[in-house]
Amino acid sequence: MSARSVAEKRPKRNSSPMQSAVHWALLGLVIERPSYGYELAQRFEHAYAGMLQLSGVSYVYTALDTLQCRRMIEEIPGTRTGRQPKPRYRATAIGVRSYQERLILQMREDFRRSQLFARQLAALAQEPELALEVIDGYGQACLADAGDTPLPAPREDCEDAVAGLAARLVSEERRLAIEAKLPWIEYARREFTALAAGRIQAR
Amino acid sequence: MSLLELEHVGKCYGPLREHVVLRDVSLQIQQGEMVAVWGMRRSGRSTLLRVAAGIERPDSGVVRFEGRDLCAREGERLGVGIGYCRRAFAPGEGQRVIDHMIFGLLARGVPLKPAAQRAREVLERAEIGHCATLRPAELDCAEAVRAAIARALAFTPRLLLIDEPTIGVDLLARDGILRLLLSLAQEGIAVLASTGEAPGLSGTRALMLSEGELRGPRARELAKVVPLRHSA
Repeated sequence: MSARSVAEKRPKRNSSPMQSAVHWALLGLVIERPSYGYELAQRFEHAYAGMLQLSGVSYVYTALDTLQCRRMIEEIPGTRTGRQPKPRYRATAIGVRSYQERLILQMREDFRRSQLFARQLAALAQEPELALEVIDGYGQACLADAGDTPLPAPREDCEDAVAGLAARLVSEERRLAIEAKLPWIEYARREFTALAAGRIQAR
Repeated sequence: MSLLELEHVGKCYGPLREHVVLRDVSLQIQQGEMVAVWGMRRSGRSTLLRVAAGIERPDSGVVRFEGRDLCAREGERLGVGIGYCRRAFAPGEGQRVIDHMIFGLLARGVPLKPAAQRAREVLERAEIGHCATLRPAELDCAEAVRAAIARALAFTPRLLLIDEPTIGVDLLARDGILRLLLSLAQEGIAVLASTGEAPGLSGTRALMLSEGELRGPRARELAKVVPLRHSA
């Protein structure tokens, strides 16, 4: 084998940050349990229903290539056998570490998004009635989201322990996020109501 | 016809009626529906429940249960068809949890044996059959809420009203209570709950009470009509 062909086969490490939420989610599934491509696509559909969407099953293979190039996952030796080989992938130490860092970064991003919304709302200070309409719409969306959040199945009823834990954590995160938002909505409403009252008095 | 209907209800407190608690509140609840009202402290959520139960009269507007004005029930016993959950146990009503269940039934003329049978049934339905012989003081917070629900269920209500069902309840026990209320709604009992905690809104028609005004969907949405596919 020529030196050139070996170099072509060796995965090149990409140093730019990986942005795709789907790639990160697939990495998480590989960390959870080594799988082959099609199995990962099925697990993805089940685990991230309503949160993330695959453009197609073939996208999983593209993502696996990317994760392999970044040395976040590796093929388990001896799994590419048979007439229809199904190579299974497992996470590397780099993959697990990167995944942890991504989770922490993502949380900071959530905080930043909330702050951004609050700052953008403040831009309507001269038009408090418009801001109150936005707050009302935001409140309605929060209430709809709160009502749509299903109660997770009790711990003892879950056959798949990881899926059960994931459902409980997702549900609780969503509910407690709303728990924080509703009093903030009340606070913002009072601030803009006071502003609107002040404007009426000033006229 | 809605099971419960509040129409432009207003309620004020204070010597000069200066403290407005409910402002033009309209709400419809259907059979088998669970509605939860979130509000901050002193938002009027408990008042809303008492007015909906007929315990308090509104200053303006009308409250109808099964089409009848609750304030016009002259001489009728309050609470027929409506179960208002009380967490407090009056010492005079008995020593054990089951005695408190039986007491209310006896007061309504149910003979002792069927009353005891019914009390056991509702305790089982509220999943606290094992607490029947305990004293109320021995119940933990979640069990006390379940006992309150059981006591209201004893009278086979069509509407159940419960104030803050998850307050003080351990996080891991909280969902069990919400699941119980949702299961009652699935059996056809309408449930109206107030809550100061957003997790209590899960799976319900969620509303918000803010400065006496009710926000959110006041009535259950009609089923969406799926348009017929056009033929080619």
